[in-house]
Amino acid sequence: MSRSICCLFVLMIVAGWSMPAALLAADTVCIECHGGQEGRLGAPVAQWRTSVHAANGISCNDCHGGDPTDYAMAMSPERGFIGVPKYTEVPDFCGRCHVGVAEDYKAGAHGQAIDRGAAQCVVCHGNHAIQRASLDLINETDCSRCHSYERAALIRMSLVETDTMVRKVETDLDRLYRLGFAVNDMQDRLFNQRNVFHRTFHGVNVDEVRQKTAGVQAELGKINMEVASIDTTLGERKLWGSVTIAIFILTGVVFLLVRKAYEEDEKG
Amino acid sequence: MQPVKWLVEFVDVRLGLKDLYDRELRGYLLPRNVNVWYTLGAVLMALFTLQIITGILLLMFYVPDSEKAFASIQYIMNDVPFGWLFRMLHAIGANVIMIALLMHMLSVLFMASYKGRREFTWLTGFIILNLTMGLCLTGYLLPWSQLSFWATTVATDAAGAIPVVGDYLVEFLRGAPTVGNQTLGRFFALHVVGMPLVLLGLMGAHLFCVKRRGISSPPFGPDYRASEELPFFEHEKHPNGIPFFPNYFVKDAAVICFFMAFMLAIIFYAPGMFFPESAFQKADPFVTPQHIKPEWYFLWAYQALKIFPSEIIGLGVQVVFMTFLALLPFIDRGAERRPAKRPLFVTCYVLGILLFVAISIWGHYS
Repeated sequence: MSRSICCLFVLMIVAGWSMPAALLAADTVCIECHGGQEGRLGAPVAQWRTSVHAANGISCNDCHGGDPTDYAMAMSPERGFIGVPKYTEVPDFCGRCHVGVAEDYKAGAHGQAIDRGAAQCVVCHGNHAIQRASLDLINETDCSRCHSYERAALIRMSLVETDTMVRKVETDLDRLYRLGFAVNDMQDRLFNQRNVFHRTFHGVNVDEVRQKTAGVQAELGKINMEVASIDTTLGERKLWGSVTIAIFILTGVVFLLVRKAYEEDEKG
Repeated sequence: MQPVKWLVEFVDVRLGLKDLYDRELRGYLLPRNVNVWYTLGAVLMALFTLQIITGILLLMFYVPDSEKAFASIQYIMNDVPFGWLFRMLHAIGANVIMIALLMHMLSVLFMASYKGRREFTWLTGFIILNLTMGLCLTGYLLPWSQLSFWATTVATDAAGAIPVVGDYLVEFLRGAPTVGNQTLGRFFALHVVGMPLVLLGLMGAHLFCVKRRGISSPPFGPDYRASEELPFFEHEKHPNGIPFFPNYFVKDAAVICFFMAFMLAIIFYAPGMFFPESAFQKADPFVTPQHIKPEWYFLWAYQALKIFPSEIIGLGVQVVFMTFLALLPFIDRGAERRPAKRPLFVTCYVLGILLFVAISIWGHYS
């Protein structure tokens, strides 16, 4: 084989497929330093790697500030380093990104009583190992650490149906997205409704939760109708696809039967 | 005279089509024991034709610009009437072509059909296989998805491993230091014009070789004859054979129908089979997806590179293997073609297939 074919093959297929990891963004200096430490200074790195923040590319400096590219200035206040917030500062710390949630939290019973030790973000959600929030966070064991569970149970009950709807719409949109449908607009609307939904119960007001979740459900219903319309189209496509497949198989069988007839002739 | 009959006569008197039909179709005789594996050539021609048709339809709406390419694909998938079907036929058809090409090559190997002065037929076929992989690779970039972008970045980066000229080659392939609009432009040109033209030429050459030398008989049954190495050219005839048209053509048509049904079944029942999630995200040079895997037919090469301690050794081993495969008709000179009489070859053949499958699965899960 000529050298050119070898080269073509080399260029086409081989050499580089090897190490996608090599192309991944380098770790920040925060992770490089703290990742090698033991105890309370190193533990957050391992916890963070399992978190929803890590999965979405939110790194140390996104919360704690500082310069993730410069060892010397990584923890300099001049580069915006915040470090560990005080207990009462946590809602503002998280609220820089989770604006709506922080707003409702501060207006609610927990936020109003934070100076007296009421729950703030990390009490329920944890910190570095934070996972995607779910209704399981509202449970008797955790809530009863501070107060009785009755009110929390009522809030949870009002949320379950909406939460199920949100999950279903998420799954449906992801399925359609994986089929090449342009669902960006619906995903944006879902994102908005999910934010409204998530911030709602941080105010811990039962009536308000019921009122707002009704609005969220109405909007989710509209998205559901659009999903149903696409599903109808998909069903029609599948039906016509099945018919076409059947026609091809039948035509193939007919051709084989004709071939059989020719084979009989050829023997004769 | 009836108008149709008159028209046929009118054309025939001028072009001699009836004579051509009698000589090249009805009079083209195939061995009596020709089997179903011989239909794969026709299947591939049908599939490549479908690629050309769907490719032209996609070209009407696709925009080869890094700012617009992804949106144009979304437009094709969502707004163009039957655009989704053309795109799926094109993308999934490419995978089905690879399946058919591998089956064709494996059947030729098993029946030792490359023997009997058929080196050119084998070589043109082998280059077609490699060129098709090149078409798949260049086509991969065009949707400008995350998968496209990063797969091309890694693949072009590979050229850098070649001593001396590596770095120049990387920039030549990309048209710039990094994958971008320049890369898209040249991959687009290669995918829609350059490579298809070469491919059509090679397919013509391959068919010419098959037709000129004569089709080889399957090495089974009482009619088996060992391949002769005559010192002069001889067209292998099958005087008692069966006419290609219509006798064998109907079998070609049947298998083409089954392949079409298979492809449509994937499109309608498992459309995501060949599309990972990153294939639906717009290319973002600043966000590298965690798990970029090549297409299934490149997985063996991907994993083979990781097995060896250095990239250049892995690369060398693959080049040696592909060179050996390309030169097989020049190396395997024995006259015997019956698999039962070639135990060493059959053992290597089976182990080779198992190795390919095992390394590919390993690559998929690594």
